[in-house]
Amino acid sequence: MATVGLFIPCYMAVARPDDALHARRVLEALGDTVEAIDGLCCGQPAFNSGFREEARRVGRQALRAATDVDTIVVPSGSCTSMIRHYLPGLFERDRRRTADIRSRRFVEFCSYVANHPKRESLELSLPGVVAYHDSCHGRRELGITLTVKDLLGSIGELEVRTLTHEDECCGFGGTFSVKFPEVSREMSACKLADVRQTGARVLVSADLSCLLHLETAAREERLRIETWSMAEVLARALP
Amino acid sequence: MSSFRERAAQDIEARGEDPGVLPLMRQLVVDSHAMLSRAPADAAQRAQDARTHAVDNMARLHAEVREKLAERSIGYHRAASAEDAVAIVELLLGSAKRVAKSKSMVAEEVGLTHALRNARIDVLETDIGEYIVDVDGRGPSHITAPALHLNRARIRELLNRTGASLDTDDPEQLSRYVRDVVGDYFTRCDAAITGANAVIASSGRIAIVENEGNVALGVSHPRLHIVITGIEKVVADEAGALSVLEVLAANATAQPLTAFTHFLGEPLPGQERHVVFVDHGRSAIAADRRYRDALRCIRCGACMNTCPVYRAAGGLSFGSPYMGPIGAVISPLLWRDGRADDLPFASSLCGACTEICPVGIPLHRMLLDLRGDAVEDHRAGNRVERAAWAMWARSLGSGRRGRMAERFARIGIKAAGLAPGFGRLVGKRLPRSGARHSLDMLRASAPQAEPKPTTVPPAIPDTGLPDLFRARAGLLGVTIAEQATLQEGDRRLKATAAIASTGSVVLTGEMANRRELLAARRVVVDLDPATIVEYPHQVEPYLGDGDALILTGASRTADIEKKIVRGIHGSEELVVVMGEGEAERRGS
Ligand code: SF4
Repeated sequence: MATVGLFIPCYMAVARPDDALHARRVLEALGDTVEAIDGLCCGQPAFNSGFREEARRVGRQALRAATDVDTIVVPSGSCTSMIRHYLPGLFERDRRRTADIRSRRFVEFCSYVANHPKRESLELSLPGVVAYHDSCHGRRELGITLTVKDLLGSIGELEVRTLTHEDECCGFGGTFSVKFPEVSREMSACKLADVRQTGARVLVSADLSCLLHLETAAREERLRIETWSMAEVLARALP
Repeated sequence: MSSFRERAAQDIEARGEDPGVLPLMRQLVVDSHAMLSRAPADAAQRAQDARTHAVDNMARLHAEVREKLAERSIGYHRAASAEDAVAIVELLLGSAKRVAKSKSMVAEEVGLTHALRNARIDVLETDIGEYIVDVDGRGPSHITAPALHLNRARIRELLNRTGASLDTDDPEQLSRYVRDVVGDYFTRCDAAITGANAVIASSGRIAIVENEGNVALGVSHPRLHIVITGIEKVVADEAGALSVLEVLAANATAQPLTAFTHFLGEPLPGQERHVVFVDHGRSAIAADRRYRDALRCIRCGACMNTCPVYRAAGGLSFGSPYMGPIGAVISPLLWRDGRADDLPFASSLCGACTEICPVGIPLHRMLLDLRGDAVEDHRAGNRVERAAWAMWARSLGSGRRGRMAERFARIGIKAAGLAPGFGRLVGKRLPRSGARHSLDMLRASAPQAEPKPTTVPPAIPDTGLPDLFRARAGLLGVTIAEQATLQEGDRRLKATAAIASTGSVVLTGEMANRRELLAARRVVVDLDPATIVEYPHQVEPYLGDGDALILTGASRTADIEKKIVRGIHGSEELVVVMGEGEAERRGS
């Protein structure tokens, strides 16, 4: 039985704390002992805004959490990509190496579950229909699209519908959506049109940040859809 | 000066329900992809290698090309700044007062047309899209399809404003009208200016691609031909250039190759030819390890075609001749006066650009570096935003943990609306969600809309290169014949070689006489099937060492709503004679 850290992204803690519980349930169902790592942030909001020094200071704390845990599961594609691909680059030479080594202990939630030795033991079933939103970070930075789809596909009685323009961005982009709300809205409208076309009422993704953004946009359009993270889908599919 | 945000908001507002360029761009990305899949599997890698070599060896390649151009009696000039570039061109023009200009991004970048007009030189944009955009006056909205944002009705209106009396919106009629204006101008202009896609160091030849034939007319101007291009465009050899051009054509216009691929050798008798290499900040970009690779760009436009921000905001919103992701990267590096400093922020960092870029430019990562630089140099991030991030970093970077949610929320809500990023995440507009999710929603689905049927591409013959050539040339509207009876006005030529995968024929030396070719009613090319190669880069040994011209289908344009119109400057009809009849004729 492994002890794993569960990194609770700052925005998840605030906007949808239930998802942290969902993720914990799934990990425990796999037989892991879970240690929640709360109160930290990967630094991405500042980093994407050009505030590298601030991002480094905040991200450093996240990396420290990996000092004595071998595996830290992160239920957010974009935080995982920030930590693994960008955070080490904010440090100078010798520290960069340490940062790099620690950053690799962070694993995206879906890939962790999909590659877990006890995965087969999970009997997943959830009757209904969902549409799948592929996040840009998951798709292009982490390359986990197929992994997530396989995982979704392994849930009994669940029909997964695909968006026609699956590779297109939902328009969030962190501070981008606040700096350029008009452009962001055009992009999310496009995405929602595609979601609507699937007929599904529940939209699923490995990235909660996209989902929260789309949920806000859907509410503005008075569209009746719910957004579920992969953690929630898996947790609810447990026996 | 307006910002990207203001321009984009205006554009979106003005467009209303009209989806703008989105459907065209989606289709183009699909078509380009299909076209690229016909190229050899390593085409993009070859193109990337050629471009990387060019960028990493600029000094050496320039020394070499300078010598080779001199051997061909072609002038070599180097302009450090935009002003220098204009001054050099003016000097070269001498007493020339009427100039036919074809599409050149560098000319756009240095404001050449505008500057020459200020110097009382008459300049006509001879590319159909550029001509229209010039009349419109607001600049191009795409690097390869400048008039993309204008629909046919608007184009008619614009043309009629210049004295045309067009009573039709038909892209074919509109294109023909501009063609005639341009064709007439070419009979009386004093000089021609073109861009270049590559200048080849080992041979001193200049490679230029185009579809309409206006470049063919320009490069064969009887008196003076001036090429203006960036210093990064010198590549080692023809094979590298051909890989670049193949990838360029596939991405830019979903074509196997452009209608005309010119390799220019010596100037024509009586003609003067000069190349002006423009630096304008490129040396500084090359010196910065983080941005140097941006100079690999072949201006194919794929990054903007795929960019969701470009599609939503439109090209004009970028306020730069270079738009989309590559524009957001190089504009602030070329213009250090702050005019483009907000562009690196105009991206959701989705990475679609990096994924599609054929020469491997990590565009979205460069955008992140540019953002960091802008904040560091105080070119971005106002006082309020700086204070908010500092507060955020103090709180979350202190190492004290626990009660984080509350702490973050407190700062977040304070910062909402002040520091971008927090508002949407933790601001008032986003109540705690998820708690009310019910299983019922999983069962409340409606049926999915029927997917559009996808067209299956025609099967690829694998019965040898001649058959592949026939099939590919056929798709381009080329007539393949066993024999041809010559008719009045035909021009009969002998091909040096052909390229099967693209359906192209290669003409060299005398056969590449462009003005005679364009004047022909019909072009009939004899081809020896033994000289067919499979891919563009393999045709290098057949290009001779002087003038060469690769014809891929007939002269055409797609500058109006991406609708293809054949036969612009030059014949609609291209006949290739191959097979038995050809062999017999040669034997007799
Ligand atoms: S950056 Fe890449 S994709 Fe964009 S225009 Fe240049 S070569 Fe094409």
